[in-house]
Amino acid sequence: MTTKLKRLALTLATLATSGLALSGAQAQTTDPVKGGTLIYLEQQAHTNLYPPAGGFYPNGGILNQITDKLTYQNPKTLEIEPWIAESWTVNADATEYTFKIRPGVTFSDGSPLDAAAVAKNYDVFGLGNKALKQPVSEVINNYERSEVVDPLTVKFYFKKPSPGFLQGTSVIGSGLVAESTLALPFEELGDATKIIGSGPFVVESETIGKELNLKAREEYNWGPVKLEHQGRAYLDGIKYIITGEDSVRIGALLAGQADFIRQVQAYDEGQVEAQDYQIYAPSTRGVNNSVVFRPDNPLVADIRVRQALLHATDTKEIVTTLFSANYPQATSIIASSALGYKDISAKLTFDPVKAKALLDEAGWSVGANGLRQKDGKELVLTAYESLPQPQNKETLQLVAQQWGKVGVKLSVLAGDSGSKTVDDLDPLKTPVSPAMVGRADPDVIKSQYYPKNRDVLRQKGGLSDKVQSFVDTKLNGLLDALASEPDREKRLAIAGEVQDYVVDQAYAIPIFEEPQAYAGAPYVQGVAFEAVGRPSFYSTWLAEH
Amino acid sequence: MSAYLFNRVAQALFVLWAAFTISFVLLQAMPGDAILIKFQNPDLGLNAEQVAEIRASYAADSSVPVQYARTIGNFLAGNFGYSVQAGVPVSSLLAAHLPATLKLAGLGFGLAAVLAIIIAFLSSLAPFGWLRGALQSVPSLFISVPTFWLGIMLIQIFSFRLKLVPVINPGPWQELILPVATLAVPISAPLAQVLVRNIDEVMTRPFVAVARAKGATRLWVLWRHVAKNALLPTLTIAGVLFGELIAGAVVTETVFGLNGIGGLTERAVGSQDAAVLQAIVVLSALAFVIINLAVDLLYPVLDPRLRTKTGAVA
Repeated sequence: MTTKLKRLALTLATLATSGLALSGAQAQTTDPVKGGTLIYLEQQAHTNLYPPAGGFYPNGGILNQITDKLTYQNPKTLEIEPWIAESWTVNADATEYTFKIRPGVTFSDGSPLDAAAVAKNYDVFGLGNKALKQPVSEVINNYERSEVVDPLTVKFYFKKPSPGFLQGTSVIGSGLVAESTLALPFEELGDATKIIGSGPFVVESETIGKELNLKAREEYNWGPVKLEHQGRAYLDGIKYIITGEDSVRIGALLAGQADFIRQVQAYDEGQVEAQDYQIYAPSTRGVNNSVVFRPDNPLVADIRVRQALLHATDTKEIVTTLFSANYPQATSIIASSALGYKDISAKLTFDPVKAKALLDEAGWSVGANGLRQKDGKELVLTAYESLPQPQNKETLQLVAQQWGKVGVKLSVLAGDSGSKTVDDLDPLKTPVSPAMVGRADPDVIKSQYYPKNRDVLRQKGGLSDKVQSFVDTKLNGLLDALASEPDREKRLAIAGEVQDYVVDQAYAIPIFEEPQAYAGAPYVQGVAFEAVGRPSFYSTWLAEH
Repeated sequence: MSAYLFNRVAQALFVLWAAFTISFVLLQAMPGDAILIKFQNPDLGLNAEQVAEIRASYAADSSVPVQYARTIGNFLAGNFGYSVQAGVPVSSLLAAHLPATLKLAGLGFGLAAVLAIIIAFLSSLAPFGWLRGALQSVPSLFISVPTFWLGIMLIQIFSFRLKLVPVINPGPWQELILPVATLAVPISAPLAQVLVRNIDEVMTRPFVAVARAKGATRLWVLWRHVAKNALLPTLTIAGVLFGELIAGAVVTETVFGLNGIGGLTERAVGSQDAAVLQAIVVLSALAFVIINLAVDLLYPVLDPRLRTKTGAVA
């Protein structure tokens, strides 16, 4: 879309909304208005709504409204607070957790949300269900079994210490669903109407791939106890409409056809704010948006080459050129608002002189064509763009430009799914990759790097059978310790150690702290976000407009 | 005639089978598959063993002939399987997406035909040679306007600026106004092109001169004699237009967020959702075959000269 057009659309929308902005400002001092339907524009259709698949943004945006969790993670303090569980006890080595369930909670099909229901949920999330093809949840480590002590008390046993489990009970992937939902085979869980939760909203109807209607549950009275708002949601309903085109989402919001939209690109923020509309950019509080290496590939097996490329990357330029203030420059491999964060920005300096020296030292000399060469091989690397990450293609292209200045070529390939998925498993084909993951617990670092989880470095014995030999036992040992150290202080110290280690080894080049960017009309009040940036519309209301 | 009909139906079935088989082979040849793409997705955080187990449970690694036999058997039984990506049966995906595309394509085609006739008639009737020339070049202009850009322009002008039609939450017919207009433009171009050329060609025939000599006006001749003769060859490009329609629908549906087969195809290609793609290919082949069959059967009805030559295809 041309800038001229944008300006045109802007001018008009400004005229239309200047009156609204005023009423929005006045409304903040009044009591929440009940009623109304929020029109929410989503970029992509949801896929499978099996709760552990809630990491995909569109899925999480729906699951967060229709399911409750055992615990609530306060997005400001990151403390774990009661929700469906009134209280809990954890034994000293974090291998046994006991939860007291709040009485009187029911799923929207009328079945009780009691200890037995919670146990059933966690048995599936913790162990998976082969017969129904339901996979294990990423956030639950070392799960062994559950035990229903009495109708309102449930106990979980773990094979090894699992200190991250408590926070794991608060995430979207641990949304509690009715037995009828858990009894369905995985391939049928894409039908939103079959996802029966106990949340403040219930799925009313769905037109696959187009829209989804939620309605408030009248008898809902079991939100997180520490929230100011108790009882039924203020909104009568939420209408999700899939609008894939960026310019259409923003234009519709500014033209008053929608109330709230997800996925606003950094370069569109200005036109939204220019009209007193609000940009919301909650952090995903996990592993930063980074570029990682697959050291199994001989080209990047030498630590000096990786360090050189780390110092050849000007993250400040990337952030200022492509992004906005909502995308803070990374100062570690995890976000500064994440638990266990350690500032290691001193190790992440942009220093092309050092980069060149390191490459020379590693035996890569500049050839006639300007590319670094060694033993007849050129230093040419490949990366596939990641479609869900904001402006990832542009980011990688800018990285490629920066690396080009020190004589290294990075080819950026389109994120077309088929070949990408296969090639990405092979370090020889894909030595470089973008990576990020959001979760507000130090376990997130293990999720990202551990060979049995996301395995972004592609270690032998991990996700890919194409890996020849690369294994980093020291890193894996640290990650194991991080996921099983019951003492909080010690655990956070290990988290700091891992951050240092990953950057010292130059396995990853962290670029920016990734937010989830939304925009809302000025009359939309009380939008909250859970700890990793998925919206919660439980306390949202629409002021007079 | 019945032998001709039988032959044509047999041909149609062969085309369907070929479309199914070729698409099956191509989908097999592509790297990766829907199950890998879905479950290797880092958002699920599954490890290698878990992915392998899931693959086994879907029988994704059984031999190609076995998979082929199973798929074709299921298709014949009317079972199109499940969409791995969306987690719903393919049949319900098709049921949800087909109506929008049928409406869009039907109305788009109708509007395109009207546009084409107007352009063609005007370009042969308009006064001044320069105006006729200008009108004759409209089809080339129409075909070169990017559908994507046109769609966004129409939204910006008619929805956001003039606020005539909402794009978000429109009524069932409201939602079709802009997309139909967007789609009709590129479709009308080849139609108009063929019409213009045929009108020019028929106009040079002797009977036109005779009619004009008898004192008939240009318009009357065009309407009474030329139009009918010019329409016939135009019908033959219906098949080509169908392809245009589908391609245009993909872009239009994506821009306007209509949930039609076009948008579904685009998403299914992205995630290599083989079950969905197979069903769409077979469905498109079926539509294509039916359209061509209908054209061939209509021809003798419209053109008396063809009635004797049974089985001849113009």
